[in-house]
Amino acid sequence: MNTGSNMRIGPFEVFYPMEGTSPRLSHNGENGFPGRLFVVEGIDGSGKSTQLSLLHKWLESRGFGVVFSQWNSSELVKDTTKLGKKKKMLTPATFSLIHATDFADRIERSILPLLKAGAVVLCDRYIYTAFARDVARGMDRRWVRDLYDFAAKPTVAFYFRVPLETAIGRLVTGRDGFKFYEAGLDIGLSDDPTESFRLFQGRIVDEYEKMIPEFGLTVIDATLPVEVQQAQVRQIVRTHLERAKDLRVRP
Amino acid sequence: MRQTYGKQLPGMRLSDLAGKLIVVEGTDGAGRTTQINMLRPWLEELGHAVLDTGMTRSHLAGDGIRRAKEGNNLGRVTQSLFYATDFVDRLENEVIPALRAGFIVLTDRYIYSLMARAIVRGMDPVWIRGIYSAALVPDAVFYLRLDVEQLIPRVIFSRGFDYWESGMDVFPGQDMYENFRSYQTALLAEFDRLSVEFNFETLDASTDAKLVFAQLQAKVQRVLEADSRRTYLARMFEQPAAHPTARIEERSVTLPRETASRQIDWAFHPVAANSSPSNGRNIPEHK
Repeated sequence: MNTGSNMRIGPFEVFYPMEGTSPRLSHNGENGFPGRLFVVEGIDGSGKSTQLSLLHKWLESRGFGVVFSQWNSSELVKDTTKLGKKKKMLTPATFSLIHATDFADRIERSILPLLKAGAVVLCDRYIYTAFARDVARGMDRRWVRDLYDFAAKPTVAFYFRVPLETAIGRLVTGRDGFKFYEAGLDIGLSDDPTESFRLFQGRIVDEYEKMIPEFGLTVIDATLPVEVQQAQVRQIVRTHLERAKDLRVRP
Repeated sequence: MRQTYGKQLPGMRLSDLAGKLIVVEGTDGAGRTTQINMLRPWLEELGHAVLDTGMTRSHLAGDGIRRAKEGNNLGRVTQSLFYATDFVDRLENEVIPALRAGFIVLTDRYIYSLMARAIVRGMDPVWIRGIYSAALVPDAVFYLRLDVEQLIPRVIFSRGFDYWESGMDVFPGQDMYENFRSYQTALLAEFDRLSVEFNFETLDASTDAKLVFAQLQAKVQRVLEADSRRTYLARMFEQPAAHPTARIEERSVTLPRETASRQIDWAFHPVAANSSPSNGRNIPEHK
């Protein structure tokens, strides 16, 4: 297949200005929009959601217009994802594609317009979650990265690094059992859910570690006390808001 | 062994896919469904097991796409990826198992329609090709080609203007007719480009459906005969025929009376028997 030399400048582009709307990461860089995008990443049990919610409250209290977007929450797509998971119909490829579809809907209708409008957007999980999970399921590393080429580049992507055993310990006390796909039971690493979860999350951690230099993820030591982590997060976020003159404030 | 367009999905085995993958492509209103509805019983009559499939028919994403299209809030990237999910679900769960079982898979549209629609909506051509690089290379792509001028009456006097077929999400303004023209023109231009890149066999879809079908029969026959094992087994039960159209006639005798007599007419119809696929618009013909 021809994938390199076929860039087309046909008559159609006249109708559609490509700038800023093309599904390529480079067009949606942080400098293109007045808004700010902060995302948190990490395995289940790393405490990232707690940290994001503390950040959210702090930003609101300081008067910023803040919007929160969660992984897998598109109104248009989530029923399909739910169906696929419930009926165990998802393969690594369709698992990847349906999550990309969900993300695309949130990007197109929420995240990008908000960034253009000058909002502070907070995302609990972002494209790096897909890169880690999909590659752990055997999808091609390059293919998954290209798939998410339409994403906006985050201002800061925090990675909450935690030893696997610590995270599992937090999860086991926090809820009962693991779900089919989150334990990676679909790829047959082990029949025992806890063991499968351990092996699968281990693969995901390996992928995250590789992504730290690749995407310049900001590592937070998630074994530190909650307050210490939050202080670090706020300090970093603060430096990216100080120079922002065109951010929206809450009405 | 069967090929993909570059990438292989996890767990996808490409060996032992004995069946044939035959694609019928074309814009809205070109008569794809009509042709497939005739091809299927004909092939089954010849003793082939047939699976037919098409866009939004996956168990996973079909309903989701239909629901999403009811509203006015389905974005371009989301749409492209939703269709890709539907495609891959059918590829993995229907098409590949059927090919492994030796079926002839007739697919109403394939990655080409999906790529054309995405590109016309401003998606990066390289990006969308990358997504579909895991698709199987089919045994043949029959492209039913129709000009916009020929397309308009077919659409407006049958089902009327559809929001998405009129590209209302692509073009500004409320004029459905103008948008339909612009959208379908852009799609056709993209199809013509793809037809060169992906070796489509182009058929003039502006003639009578029966004539198109006669041409398709001959072309499908050639695809099946490329498979020596299939041909050998089939010939054990049949007399050798003088030329391809005669063979169609001969096999068609076993069809129900009405269908069979019609088919004989088409096969010997001067236009159907002699014309090569319409080549009047500088579309290169392959094979």
